[in-house]
Amino acid sequence: MDNCKEAVKRLNEYLDRELSDEEQQVVRRHLEHCPPCLDLFRFEENVLTFVGERCRETTAPPSLRDKVQKLCHHD
Amino acid sequence: MSSCCSEQSSVSTAPVDTLDPEARQRLEQAAIEHIDALYRTALRMTRNPSDAEDLVQEAYLRAFRSLHQFTEGTNLRAWLFRILTNTYINEYRRRQRRPTSASLDNIEEFYLYDHLIDSRVQPGSERPEDVVLQRLTVDDVNAAIDELPDDFRQVVLLADVEGFSYREIAEIADIPVGTVMSRLYRARRRLQKSLYEFAVESGIITEVATDGQL
Repeated sequence: MDNCKEAVKRLNEYLDRELSDEEQQVVRRHLEHCPPCLDLFRFEENVLTFVGERCRETTAPPSLRDKVQKLCHHD
Repeated sequence: MSSCCSEQSSVSTAPVDTLDPEARQRLEQAAIEHIDALYRTALRMTRNPSDAEDLVQEAYLRAFRSLHQFTEGTNLRAWLFRILTNTYINEYRRRQRRPTSASLDNIEEFYLYDHLIDSRVQPGSERPEDVVLQRLTVDDVNAAIDELPDDFRQVVLLADVEGFSYREIAEIADIPVGTVMSRLYRARRRLQKSLYEFAVESGIITEVATDGQL
């Protein structure tokens, strides 16, 4: 795949690991030879990682955990 | 995959419990292990800590009541998220009317990248776009997610925060995989635009463009 357009079209699926192994490999090979695409892909990946990490900082309040524990059949 | 997320709606009547007490206890404890993920999803869906706590408790109540319908060995996490989603739709969604998907149209692809690339200073120095990400706060990210319409917020939370696959999201949200993909990509664009706007509002972008440093 020499075509940047084809690679970019698959950006989301590539980053989400939703492509077939074969397609994943094709995109990876393009990125190895195309610094501008690699730059874009890396940036998009960084944004996704960033959003996920920030959001996962939120945890359930301990009091909620206690309340749910009390809903259990055995408690 | 069809059995992984199946949940009967008749949870309010006492079910015939075919689970032995040990299996039930084991499943209940396994389910509680997912409380952080369920709570933060509930919080972003309801945008209100008190509603989020109620939603999580109601979802667990339904899950515990229908635990005998869960097939052990299948995806407990996806099953719980499906129950949370259904509970949210039944109990909360009607109360909140928020922006429609119309606000997601006409946003160019790679919004953040394209807008930040011009502010690069010199090759080899820390990349401005990375500096921008580092300086955006949890509140900025939450606010950007909160601005998304319901259906789009849901797929972002399930994919980008909780790491579910397209197929799992399709089952949790009861929509086709193609819809998962189109909603996810549009939501990500909108999210990037909001993050960019927050960065401009808080002066992060200007600073970066001026001196290229933290």
